[in-house]
Amino acid sequence: MNIRAKANIVSWSFISIAVIMICVFYFYPMIQALIMSFQSGMGTNLSFVGLDNYKRLFTDTTFIAALKNTFIYLIVQVPIMIILALFISVLLNDKNLKLKGFFRTAIFLPAVTSLVAYSVIFKYLFGPDGLINTMLLKLHLINAPIEWITDPFWAKITIIIAITWRWTGYNMIFYLSALQNIDSSIYEAARIDGASSFRQFTSITVPLLKPIILFTSITSTIGTLQLFDEVMNITKGGPGNSTMTLSQYIYNLSFKYTPDFGYAATVSYAIVILIVIFSILQFKLAGDKNG
Amino acid sequence: MKKMLGLLLACALVLGACSSNGGTNSAGEGGNGGDGGDASKITIWAWDPNFNIKAMNLAKETYAADHPDVEIEIIENAQNDIVQKLNTGLSSGTTKGLPNIVLIEDYRAQSFLQAYPDMFHPLTDSFKAEDFAEYKLGPTSVGDTRYGLPFDSGVTGLYVRTDYLEQAGYTVDDMQDITWDQYIEIGKAVKEKTGKDWLSLDPNDLGILRVMIQSAGSWYLKEDGKTADLADNAALKEAFETYKKMMDANIVKIHSDWSQYVANYNSGDAASVPTGNWFTPSITAAADQAGKWAIVPLPKLTNNADSVHASSLGGSSWYVLNVPGKEAAAEFLGATLGSNVDLYQKLVTDIGAIGTYKPASEGEAYKAPNEFFGGQVIVQDFAKWTAEIPNVNYGMHTYAIEDILVVEMQNYLNGKAIDQVLADAQKQADSQIK
Repeated sequence: MNIRAKANIVSWSFISIAVIMICVFYFYPMIQALIMSFQSGMGTNLSFVGLDNYKRLFTDTTFIAALKNTFIYLIVQVPIMIILALFISVLLNDKNLKLKGFFRTAIFLPAVTSLVAYSVIFKYLFGPDGLINTMLLKLHLINAPIEWITDPFWAKITIIIAITWRWTGYNMIFYLSALQNIDSSIYEAARIDGASSFRQFTSITVPLLKPIILFTSITSTIGTLQLFDEVMNITKGGPGNSTMTLSQYIYNLSFKYTPDFGYAATVSYAIVILIVIFSILQFKLAGDKNG
Repeated sequence: MKKMLGLLLACALVLGACSSNGGTNSAGEGGNGGDGGDASKITIWAWDPNFNIKAMNLAKETYAADHPDVEIEIIENAQNDIVQKLNTGLSSGTTKGLPNIVLIEDYRAQSFLQAYPDMFHPLTDSFKAEDFAEYKLGPTSVGDTRYGLPFDSGVTGLYVRTDYLEQAGYTVDDMQDITWDQYIEIGKAVKEKTGKDWLSLDPNDLGILRVMIQSAGSWYLKEDGKTADLADNAALKEAFETYKKMMDANIVKIHSDWSQYVANYNSGDAASVPTGNWFTPSITAAADQAGKWAIVPLPKLTNNADSVHASSLGGSSWYVLNVPGKEAAAEFLGATLGSNVDLYQKLVTDIGAIGTYKPASEGEAYKAPNEFFGGQVIVQDFAKWTAEIPNVNYGMHTYAIEDILVVEMQNYLNGKAIDQVLADAQKQADSQIK
C-alpha cells in the first residue's frame, strides 16, 4: 500500500465518525419518521394507511387553523423583526455612540434567556392583572384591562411581541457583524457626493447586507414555522386554536390526545415541505444564487 | 495567541460535553432504579404534592409498618409530564425508566389502556370492585378486566360565598337544589349588589360543560367511547346555551391559568365555584375567609329530566405497569388504598382527600364538621353526592373533542347558531377521531 492510499484511509476514517453519527442520529430518524407518516393508529398499534394521513391534512380544520396562524406570525412578525433589527444595528454601528458595548449587550441579552423562562414571565406581564394592564390603566390609556391572553386577536399580538423581543437582538448581531465589514470609505464617498443618511441606508447598507438579510429571513421563517415554546407556555394555543402553531399541534396529537404518532409525523413532514418551499422562494426572490 | 484561545475553547466544549454526559447518565441511572430491576422496590409517579403525593405517602407509611423490607419511592411530576413520559416510554417498546405504579386521570385512562394494551397489569384480583363507586369502574376497566384502582372522587359541589349572598338578599337555603338558570339569576343579583363576579372561567377549559353533561348522564362520546356524540346531544346543547347565558349575563371573570383561578377566589373577586371537591384546599388557603363559605349541591340543567345534582370533574386512579415488580406493586395497592378503611380516614383528616372506597364513608372522619365551612359536614355531603354521580364512558377522545368544542364555543359566543355549531363540531370530530 502506498503512502497516498494510507493517507486516504486515515482521512476517511476521521470523516467516517462524523458521517456515521449523522446517519444514525439524523438520517435514520428522518427516514423512520417518513415511514411513520404513512401509518396511523393509537399508540403502538400503527398500521399502514398509504396517503390517508396526507389527505387528512387538507380536511383537518385544526391543521388549517394552525397553518393560518403560522402565516400570520410569519407575515407580520418576521418583517417587523428584520426591519427593527436592521434599524437598531445601524444605530449601534455609529462610531460616535457612547456605551456601545452596553447597548449591544442589552439588546442581545434576550437571546440568551431560556425560552420557557421568558414565556412564563411574559404570560404574567400580560395577564389580566399583569404589569402591562396595570400600567396602561394607571396611565388612563385604556378603561378596561386588555385581554392579552384570552382574546383571539390580542393573544396573537402578545405572541408576536414576545417573539420579537426574544429574537430581534439575535438577528441584530448578524447585521452588526456584517456592517463592520462594509468599508467606511464607501460611506465617506457617499457623504462627499451629498447623500443623506437615509439615502446611504437604502443605497449602500441594505444592498450590501442583502446576503445577511436573506440568511436571517430564512432562519426566522424556519423559526416561526417551528414556533412552540412561547405558544405552549403563554397561551397553550388558545383561546380556541387562535394562537395554535403547527409544532404545538404535533405535540397535542402525540401527547395531549390519544396518541397518533403516525399523523403527528405527517404534520411534521408538512412543516419540512413548507420550509423547503419557503427557502427556495426566498432565494429566488433575492435573485442571487450564492445568497 | 489566537490558537491558544481556540484550543482552550475546544477543551471547554469537550469538557462541557463530558460533564453534561455525566449528568444525564447519573439521572438515567436514578430513573432506572425504578424499572423494577430488584422486585422489592416500588416506584410511583403522581402529581399534586398537596393531594396525591401526600396520599401516597400515607399509604406508604401504613404499608411499611407491616412490610419493612419493601422500599417505596414516590416521585412527583406534573401531570402533563407524566402523560408525556408515559407516551414516549410505552411507545418506545422499552420499559426502562418507567415506574411500577402511575396515576392517570380518568378522562385519559381509556386512551392509555387501549393504545398500549399489553403494558398494563390487570388488578382484577387485587381489590373488590363492588366496594368502589360505580362511576369510577367504567374508565378504569377494559371489558371485565380492572386495570385501575379507583382513587380520588371528582365529585362536584357548588362552593359559594355566604356573605356576598346575604348582601344580595339570599341565603344558603336559596341555593339548595337549584337549576343553572336560577344559579345565573342569583349571580346577576350578587353582581349588582356587591360588584363581585359570580364565577371565574377559563375559555380554554370547558370543565364546566363536562360537569353539566355528566350530571345528565351524557358525554362528548357515545356509549362505545369512540363515536362523537355532539350534534344530537340535548344535554350538550343546553350546556352550551347555559354557558352563553353566563357569559352574556356579565357575571364571569376570565382567567387563563390555575394560579389566577385560585387568586380570583382567594382575593374575594369571585363569589362561587362549581367544581370538584379537590378544590377545597384552594378555598381554605384563604384563612381570612373562614366561615364565609358553604358548599351546596351542584345546580342541574333546567330543561333536562335526566340531570341530577351530582357530577364529577377530574378524579384519577392508580395503574400498575407491566414491568418487573408488578406483583409487589399490585399487592401494595390492594393492601392500602384497595382495602384499608383506616387509611381512608387518615386521608380525610390529614389532607381532605375523599376516596371512592364505599366502606370508608362509615368511618368517624367522614362525619366531622368543617369549621371553615361554618360547621358543615362537607365530607359526608360529598360522599352522598358521589353515590349519585351518573356513570358515563369517558372513552378515548375527551381532550381531542374538547379542543374542537373550545373553538366552536367561541364561534357560538360570537353569534353562530347553536345547531350549526354542534353540527360543525360533529363533522370535525368524525373526521379527526378514528
